[in-house]
Amino acid sequence: MTAMTDADFRRAIRARTLRRNLWLAFLLLPPMAVMFIFIFLPMGSAVLYSVYEWDGLVRGDFVGLENFREVLFEPQKSKFLFNAFKNNVIVFVSVMVVQNGLALVLAMLLAREPKGYRFYQVVFFLPVILSTVIIGFQWKLFLNPVFGLVNNLLRAAGLDSWALPWLGLPETALPSMILVNAWHWVGFPTLVFLAAIHRIPKDYIEAARLDGASEWRIARDIIWPLMAPAVTIIVVLTFIGAFNWFEIPYVMNGLEGAPGYSTDMLGLLFYRTAFGSISATDSDFGAGSALAVLIFLFIFTVSLIFTRLLTAREIELA
Amino acid sequence: MQTAKQKNSSLDRVLIQIFLIGNAIIMLYPILMMALSGFKTNAEIFTRPFGMPSSFNLDNFKVIWTQTDVPRYLINSAIVTGFSVLFLLVMGTMAAYALSRYRWRGSIMVSLFFLSGLMLPLRLAIIPLFIQLKAMGLTDNPLGLIAIYTAMSLPATVFILTGFLRSLPAELEDSARIDGASELRIMVQIMTPLISPALVIAGIYNAVPIWNDFFFPLIFIQSPEWKTLAQGLTQFFGEYSINYGVLYAGLTLAALPIVVIFIAQSRRFIAGMTAGAIK
Amino acid sequence: MAHIVMRDVQKRFGNVEVIPGASLEIKDNEFVVFVGPSGCGKSTLLRLLAGLEDLTAGAIEIDGERVDHLSPSRRGLAMVFQSYALYPHMTVRENMSYALRVARTPKAEVEAKVREAAEILQLTEYLDRKPKALSGGQRQRVAIGRAIVRDPKVFLFDEPLSNLDAKLRVQMRIEITKLHRRLKATMIYVTHDQIEAMTMADKIVVLNEGRIEQMGAPLDLYNDPDNKFVAGFIGSPAMNFFDGTVTARDDAALTVELSDKTKVVYPCANPGQAGVGDAVTLGVRPENFHFDGGDEPAIKGEVYAVERLGGETYLYLQSTAGHETVVHAVGDHEVAVGDQVAVNFNPARNHLFDPQGRTIR
Ligand SMILES: Nc1ncnc2c1ncn2[C@@H]1O[C@H](COP(=O)(O)OP(=O)(O)OP(=O)(O)O)[C@@H](O)[C@H]1O
Ligand SMILES: [Mg+2]
Repeated sequence: MTAMTDADFRRAIRARTLRRNLWLAFLLLPPMAVMFIFIFLPMGSAVLYSVYEWDGLVRGDFVGLENFREVLFEPQKSKFLFNAFKNNVIVFVSVMVVQNGLALVLAMLLAREPKGYRFYQVVFFLPVILSTVIIGFQWKLFLNPVFGLVNNLLRAAGLDSWALPWLGLPETALPSMILVNAWHWVGFPTLVFLAAIHRIPKDYIEAARLDGASEWRIARDIIWPLMAPAVTIIVVLTFIGAFNWFEIPYVMNGLEGAPGYSTDMLGLLFYRTAFGSISATDSDFGAGSALAVLIFLFIFTVSLIFTRLLTAREIELA
Repeated sequence: MQTAKQKNSSLDRVLIQIFLIGNAIIMLYPILMMALSGFKTNAEIFTRPFGMPSSFNLDNFKVIWTQTDVPRYLINSAIVTGFSVLFLLVMGTMAAYALSRYRWRGSIMVSLFFLSGLMLPLRLAIIPLFIQLKAMGLTDNPLGLIAIYTAMSLPATVFILTGFLRSLPAELEDSARIDGASELRIMVQIMTPLISPALVIAGIYNAVPIWNDFFFPLIFIQSPEWKTLAQGLTQFFGEYSINYGVLYAGLTLAALPIVVIFIAQSRRFIAGMTAGAIK
Repeated sequence: MAHIVMRDVQKRFGNVEVIPGASLEIKDNEFVVFVGPSGCGKSTLLRLLAGLEDLTAGAIEIDGERVDHLSPSRRGLAMVFQSYALYPHMTVRENMSYALRVARTPKAEVEAKVREAAEILQLTEYLDRKPKALSGGQRQRVAIGRAIVRDPKVFLFDEPLSNLDAKLRVQMRIEITKLHRRLKATMIYVTHDQIEAMTMADKIVVLNEGRIEQMGAPLDLYNDPDNKFVAGFIGSPAMNFFDGTVTARDDAALTVELSDKTKVVYPCANPGQAGVGDAVTLGVRPENFHFDGGDEPAIKGEVYAVERLGGETYLYLQSTAGHETVVHAVGDHEVAVGDQVAVNFNPARNHLFDPQGRTIR
């Protein structure tokens, strides 16, 4: 073996570094490539597509903001947009109050570890793992005006006049669907809140109890402020979920938001615009992409604002 | 004073139990009714909606098993979910490992690359995605779904796994290096086995929504050959729209696999599915 | 069986220079201990030698061959970590045999080596347990066993005993020393523990801010430190320092006046190292004080704490020379807090440091 020079050793060490970098590239390139091709590329393209005219699958001329103008200001189209938007807002507010409010109460109660609290956790979470499609169909059957479980129960209780065609009336269709959604998801915020409460050091709660605080005061003054991070996450997730709401309305009342667009949602409108439907016109990728960009910007901005506002409330545990 | 308080708290306890039991009934009763109705004939559903089925005969289930595509949908869903979870765990581990176990310039940028994926709602990019998958020959193809699910799940997976991998001591790695193990061997034989609980959590976190997903198959799969369960159910509902017993049986069958696994592994499921929302 | 040379080894992490340049020679079969304050680069130096970090500059040779470009496993050394770093999901047997299995050693040979190491370390009955089911001392032994099976030329230990309780530490200290004699391998050992350093080492290397301050046999460092840093670092409790000024100089001694005007005549061979008027530091070890020194110089002060251990007594003085002073006395000494005492010392047995901190000899 010939003697190696100092430069040879430097080179040998550099080769080691190079090998390490190749190894890192091997680890990172496949996942990054998948993410790029199937997420970043389409997301970027969505913005690009919204400024073109489309004829079916074929891209036409550059039309600037024309597609946006169309969906926002042409009354024939914008009335759908604003109607759907209004419905999404109703969904968000109702879900916050009904579903997350109930979840908060359930979590506070479960946090006191009543008898059977493991059982309750499993039961409340059970619907969460089921497909929205299963839940939607199941409740569509239950809400059937003639033989559905709900009306059968009402009649059995002597409330015959209450036995309404729940999904068929504009006033009751959306509330019914919101309740179904709450039934489906309530276990999720419940257990997230519960986990957050369990992470609050027991000392704080015991100290308050020694100070003579009632359970209600403890919940309000100790637990509620200290579980702020979980509240932030649930509010933001609820918001994103409400404005992406698609499966329940699709399965239960169809693409057109029946009856009479009373359950129309941005998600349904987007789908109809992009891919066409029986009633609406042909598929229009330009207008669809413009809608997508608008919805994304709205969700993104409001989520950011929510996060900002709510994290300001969060307290670092010492 | 003391006794008054005691009495009060035991009353509290009774009220809490009533409230919780009421809730549990509301959660369980519909699922139970769905399962029971699956054993009933149409006539029974109309005449005795609340009663037990006259017999637990499996006729409705037989219809589903022999005359519908539901078994095929089940298999398709299993294939799509299985491969998606496999790929997303492998790739997620690879990326998380590179980000958590080595120090290198640009690692923060790459972390942000993955994290930003958490905030992009891919559904809104469905149009370009559709055009793109069509051009790649991935529509009507389970590979297309697998690719999308893998990509969508990577950000959260990388996020969850990075946290766990970071907590492993560096000395283990050093020790294995001195023992002569290659970097690949260290990752596969030493470090990854130590985060297997995290892999289970990440797996469940992603598997449940993938198994249940309806939106992407709705857009990308047309031929019955590759329809998944959630999507296939809509088809099935169209075909059997008046045979309610069969419909209930179909729903029950569709729900069965995941419910069974959930009941066996409820704690892991709950930990897994809430993993993204708990800091 | 290895002769190690580190030549002007340097290490930077980004812009932080952790080892500005260290040269060191370790003889075959030597037991070398690295000591130094926390963060001074002991672990880094060990890791450079092991190949877990790449050198910024310099060279490392083992038995005359450059190794600094080799991966850790090809340098023929083994390392035992403070946290033991046992693979939690493997049994003791799997842990100990891992390196051999990676190297595709024949099964029979692996088995024989593991059995031999397990016998040396009294681990035979635990071979099928997982690390979780072992006590701290047993885990430590497994970590050592894992090193032994590889027949390394060099053993590296990074504070291997600091997670053990005092009694086990003494026991393991003795076992490692025995092991050294038995295996006749070169061992490099990092510790914070004075007793480990003094009792185990053939040679101690004192590090400070990435620099080697001094190396030598334990008692040489104790009796004849090169500088104030080493003097203060070796010995427990640490040496007392008193600020003073040189007031006179002749051929064989310097006269130093402490802040309370106590005059000390310090005999030395090179008084020229300091001039009259220089600020110097006098160092006196706690064990060099005594109570019946006649006309020897004395440190006076008020006792503010006493620790009476039966066999020995420690007095803590607020001395008039301006410092808190620790005094070690043999036996049970009758003093109480608040007493005024004067303790004598023999100037010839103490140390004087010039303004740069170098020992005046
Ligand atoms: N990978 C690294 N990147 C940057 N700085 C480092 C790195 N490793 C060590 N250092 C720094 O190098 C210095 C020396 O660290 P080292 O671990 O060698 O000290 P040590 O003498 O072993 O200390 P201790 O007695 O506490 O174990 C420290 O200031 C440390 O912060
Ligand atoms: Mg160290």
